[in-house]
Amino acid sequence: MEGGAQAVAGPSGARVSERWARARSSPYLLLLPAGLALAAVAAYPLIYGLRSSFERYRFGRDLGSAGLANYRSILHDHVFWTAVGTTARYVIFAVVIETLLGLGLALLVSRELRFGGIIRVGLILPMTIAPVVVGVIWRLMYASDIGIVNPVFGWLGLHEPNVLANTTSAFIGVVAVDVWEWTPLLFLIILAGLQSLPQEPLEAARIDGAGPVRTFFDHTLPLLMPVLMVAVVLRTIDAIGTFDQIFVLTKGGPGTSTQLISTYAYNTAFLFTQYGRAMAMMVALLVFLLLLMIVAIRLMRRAAARSAA
Amino acid sequence: MTRRRSTIAVWVVLGLALLVAIFPFWWMLVTSFKRPVDIFAGVSLWPQHLTFDNYSRLFGPYHMGSFLRNSVLVVTVAVAVSLVLGTLAAYALARFRLRLGLNEHALVAALLVRMLPPILLVIPLYIVLSKWGLLNTRLGLIVIYSGLNTSFVIWMMQSFLEEIPRDIEEAAMVDGDSRLTALRRVVLPLAAPGLAATAIFSVITTYNDFLIALTLTSTPDAQTVPVGVSTLIGKIQIEWGPMAAAGVIGALPIVLFALAVQRHFVRGLTLGAVK
Repeated sequence: MEGGAQAVAGPSGARVSERWARARSSPYLLLLPAGLALAAVAAYPLIYGLRSSFERYRFGRDLGSAGLANYRSILHDHVFWTAVGTTARYVIFAVVIETLLGLGLALLVSRELRFGGIIRVGLILPMTIAPVVVGVIWRLMYASDIGIVNPVFGWLGLHEPNVLANTTSAFIGVVAVDVWEWTPLLFLIILAGLQSLPQEPLEAARIDGAGPVRTFFDHTLPLLMPVLMVAVVLRTIDAIGTFDQIFVLTKGGPGTSTQLISTYAYNTAFLFTQYGRAMAMMVALLVFLLLLMIVAIRLMRRAAARSAA
Repeated sequence: MTRRRSTIAVWVVLGLALLVAIFPFWWMLVTSFKRPVDIFAGVSLWPQHLTFDNYSRLFGPYHMGSFLRNSVLVVTVAVAVSLVLGTLAAYALARFRLRLGLNEHALVAALLVRMLPPILLVIPLYIVLSKWGLLNTRLGLIVIYSGLNTSFVIWMMQSFLEEIPRDIEEAAMVDGDSRLTALRRVVLPLAAPGLAATAIFSVITTYNDFLIALTLTSTPDAQTVPVGVSTLIGKIQIEWGPMAAAGVIGALPIVLFALAVQRHFVRGLTLGAVK
């Protein structure tokens, strides 16, 4: 039981410090179960996956070492690179649009406080439900026979798009669903950021006669930056892993127009049982994501420090 | 005058945003109460003939009852286990300075696990679980979800526990409580709002998971609600009515839970960076 942990704050009475000393070893024991759980479901699979990216599989059976063959094969797999490009476009379009819309809405709501609560609840509903249900909702909206998107385009005198049936419109369609689902996240975070801003610099600017636009770019935006960056990076990491909605809406089609890295890896592993190749893709993705996650943690720490100060 | 006009413009924009956010839910709800004939009879924002047939078929031939039972069981047990494991660890991190910079490293590790997209984990998890004979079992799902969610609980509870003053538990320990008794009797009641928010967030993310359950389960014996919903889409001819009903059932509990924690939403979603 006795270890070497040190209590952070020394308590006052002598009896207390005795007790404290006796309990000193326990923090490591308290950490142990959680540590084992995380090791079992995250560290172990990742290490196992890393190893299997160097193995050859046929019909799901491990046939021994493949050296770098899996990595060489994805390097020359143009479907994989198409999926990488599609994922990049998907993430960039979605995150940029969500950030702009979220920022705009947050600025509006922070000004208009009457019914603010109800509006907030309504606006955040899309991101609370399962992404699979989001997929179902938009299948029902987009469907050419029973949906409502086609009739609305018709009423407006526009060409009825049949969203999920054509390559370009399907891509726009899945990005639009992402925007519908996740703009609320950016909205909420930015709103919280706006409401915690110090009022003095903004007041001072107003008194100096700066218009709302000037005030926003000179004062509000720079002050908001730490929070905004956290929101954008977290959303980007999340968007790169998008799978559920695509699986429900298009399964990556038509053609490969909405095929993301995640859906391609899923197909490679579970339709073609090429676990090694799929894991090689995932290792490449993990390296990229780890870089982003390190950035995210830095930014989060900075934002948290600022909001504490 | 211009001020008045700009206020009206603001409300128009907000109303439009609200309509875009809410209307798709309404469309699903309405479709779930329509007869097949009416679903195909053109746009109607109200069921022409109200029917509960889609729901009774959903719970009959489409096994929604089993999906719900599996989800409730798996989510309850996994969240309970992860709350215990995660809170104990969070307490250690919040109250002790550990060796080797463990406080810092453990939190970062928990955060990294939380941010990993499931697609990175499911392929090896599938291989490993098939070796252990846990594929297509609720136990398998419980093990995976408990472990993954522990990372989130550690992260959230560490920040909530840090906000509770130490003096109170020290006083309890002077009165003869052991550390764990003090944690249970004094600290946790004070941390109850944070614990509740963490629990509800955990329920939402665990209930909503799709990819892990999709790959690790294959029959209604173990499949959860989101997987069940997706099985209705795979058919050659899509059964729109039951599919809409399944969406409603899938969304309903989560919407209620989400409304309960909306005060803590930002903190949960930014993993504590913004409060």
